[in-house]
This record gives sequence, structure tokens and C-alpha cells, in this order.
Amino acid sequence: MPEIIVKYEDKVIERVVSEKKRMSIGRTSDNDIILDNRGVSRKHAQIEFNGEAAVIIDNESLNGTFVNNRKINEEILNDRDVITIGKYNLEYNTEGQRETSQAGLDGTMILNTKKQKELIAGDKLEKEIVQRMGGSVLLGEENSDFSEYQLDRDVTTIGKAKFVHIHASGFFLSGIQAKIVKEGNQFHIVNLGRKGKTKVNGEVVENLNLKNGDIIQVGKSVFRYLEGNR
Amino acid sequence: MKIALISDVHSNLEALEAVLRDIEKEGVEKIHFLGDAVGYGINPNKCIKLLSKHCDIKLLGNHDYAALGLISLEGFNKVAKASVEWTQTKLKKKSIEKLADFELNSTFLDYALVHASPGTPDEWNYILGIDQATEEFACFSQSICFVGHSHIPTVYTEETDGTVSSSLSSSMELDQNLRYIINIGSVGQPRDNDPRACYLTIDTENSKIDYRRVEYDINKTQAKMRKEMFPDFLVERLAVGR
Repeated sequence: MPEIIVKYEDKVIERVVSEKKRMSIGRTSDNDIILDNRGVSRKHAQIEFNGEAAVIIDNESLNGTFVNNRKINEEILNDRDVITIGKYNLEYNTEGQRETSQAGLDGTMILNTKKQKELIAGDKLEKEIVQRMGGSVLLGEENSDFSEYQLDRDVTTIGKAKFVHIHASGFFLSGIQAKIVKEGNQFHIVNLGRKGKTKVNGEVVENLNLKNGDIIQVGKSVFRYLEGNR
Repeated sequence: MKIALISDVHSNLEALEAVLRDIEKEGVEKIHFLGDAVGYGINPNKCIKLLSKHCDIKLLGNHDYAALGLISLEGFNKVAKASVEWTQTKLKKKSIEKLADFELNSTFLDYALVHASPGTPDEWNYILGIDQATEEFACFSQSICFVGHSHIPTVYTEETDGTVSSSLSSSMELDQNLRYIINIGSVGQPRDNDPRACYLTIDTENSKIDYRRVEYDINKTQAKMRKEMFPDFLVERLAVGR
């Protein structure tokens, strides 16, 4: 069974194995592979399987679909091909759940100028938001109220309680599950509540400096950190 | 139903244990905690554990907020600031996790519960006089608002014509036609010249309140604080209740 390894900034977020004949990729939750990022279209692309063969088809997405750094409309996938959508890399792996070595993942991709330009176009909206808000922002995405929260306080609280600055939902979430602390121009996230309920880019964190584009998950709620004054 | 309201424990384990023993004797059904589990005292983790175990509603006070690193320490005096910083180094992960589930304010039956003031719960304003109390009466809809924070037991009464007065007696039957803001005093650091731990019970049937004063082993608490080199000011005030 072929496997798709979904990576965000070189970190594995998800490994998807599907018996479906068709796997949809996009930003909305009705997709088989959900890439929760504003640079990704709602129905961005799909992979169709026919026996041994697999084809990726771009659904006229705004920011394009790339296979091994080349923009494609439709492309037959070979083992270890890397599909790039927004800030995500999806590795196509025919042997399925094979333990891939770090070197084999070819994590850092060399971007050609054209591709860089196209990826940057995906960031344009984010830049506009940061500029309009006048500083670093937390964007509400999945299971949130989709607000843009300006991180203008020394400490911003996230959790289930009514009194926190940013509301998050989920089972067994603490009232104040996490805080985002400002130190100069840098922000870091600290988990205060129950263990394992605060994640950054898919990994459980206790205390971590935030980088632009980080995906923060508190319980079920997902937010994206956009750094201001870059 | 008889309920107990406790507040401002401030990491004073001996005082809290004595109060919990007294509450048990009183035949209380529920205990609500109005904030400041930590700060000033020597046993933050044990106090948080006991409060989490025994209390139904648990509120955050400004010292708890500060210990969680949620407010700047600018408004704190030098001693309070040092004590918050000491507490932060001592708090176990489990205690932080428990505190993170405490609330900022709450309600129970026809009562509002908040650490400092119902109008702006996270600004930690003291209700210290008739004028402030008058403003705060407009900020909650329930008949009674129970508060802590100042460590000074006080009953503010709002008459039907809106005039506010303050009074204090160890036992009072509240008039069910009037509204009240009631400061329940402090368990772990009383400041009304009575060093005994203070808390309050209310009988929800007849609205009778009783301030309870409980003796505890102050010497033991002080000895622990001295051993940890706590400032004399913090150690000595426990014995005089100021």
C-alpha cells in the first residue's frame, strides 16, 4: 500500500495510507489529506491510484502543485517523489510505511527562483494580515473562531476557560492550557495545563520559541503563528 | 445546605489543614475557594493539592495568576514579588496543571464568587470602602458577592434605596431583600489583627453567615519559613494578624 508522508518544514506531521482509489488534498476538513494553511486551496489537488500507478492532479489551485520542485498540472508519481503544496512537502512512498532514513527524505529542497516566487505568493495574505495587525498574530484555523489575534500582550492565554484571551476547545483541555509569552520581539509558547495538549507542528511541547508559520494546536483548536516585523 | 467559603491561603499549610478540620466538624456540604492558593507562604504545592481535592469551585487570585506567569509583577511590592518568584521555582508541574484549571470567577446558587472585584476580576482591585463597594454592586446580578483579596472580613450591605453601608459581626442573618458584598477574610495570612485563620460559612436556607476563626500552629509555620530564610516581615505578620 503506498504511503504519503506529510511534512511541514521538514517535520513529519502525518503518514497517510489509504485504500481509496482517489485521495483529495486541500485545506478544508472534507479532504483525505488536510493541509491547514492559507496557502493551500480548499480542494487543492488529488492523487488517483490505478493499480500500481498513481497520478497527482492539480485542481487549478491558486498557488500551484509541485513535484520535485517542478510545477505540474498532472504528473505520474514515482517512488520517493516529493509533492510540494504551500509549505507542505508530501513524500510519495510506494513501499508503504518503509522507515525512511533522514538522508532519504531529502528534507531541504533547493528552490528555484520561480518556485520561490510562487511560494512567496502564498505568503502574501499572511504578510497583509501581519501588516494590518501591526505585529505578530495568531490566526485561528480549524476548530477555532477563525479570528486574527494580535499578540500585543506580554502574556496571551489560550484554553477552555471563559476568561482566557484565545478560546480553544477539546476534551480534558485545561482552563488555561497554554500561554504565549512575549520577550522583546520573540514569542514563546508554554504549556501550563494537561500534558500533551499543546502541540507545535504536530509535536507535543512544554516550552518552545515560535517561528513564523508554526502551526499551534491546543486541544482540537488549530492556530497559525505569523511573526510581525520580519 | 451549609457551604464554606475560604480564601487567601497563601501557601500556609498549617492554617489550611486547621480550617479543613474545622469545616469537617461544621457539617459543610461544599467548600468554595476564592483564590490566592499561593504566594507569601512556604507550602505552595501541598496547599494546591489540598484545595484541589476538597474544594468544589476553585478560583484564581492575583498571586496564583502571577505564579503562573500570567501577569507582570510590576504592581507587586518587593516582598510579594520575591515571594512570587520563589513560588515559581518551587511549583511542581502537577501543581501548575491544577492551578491552570482554577477559574477567574464563578457563581453558585444566587451568589457571585470572585477573588478581588466582580466588575473587573482580572484587575485585582481592592474593595476597601463604601465608594468602591457602591460601584461594585452594579457589577453583579446575584444577591451576594463573596470576595477575598484584602484579607479583611467585611460585610457591605446595599439597601433597597441603593445606599451602601459596611459592618462586621462574627455572625449575621442576612436580609433576603438586600444585597451584599462579603469579604470572607484570609485563611493563611489574616490582616485584621486576629492571627487565627479566618473563613466563612453560609446556611443557604436562612442566609445566616458565620465567620469562623481557627487557631493553628503558627510557630510551626514560622519555623519552616525562617529555615527557608523568608523575610522577617512575612514571618512575623502571621503572629500578629497584620
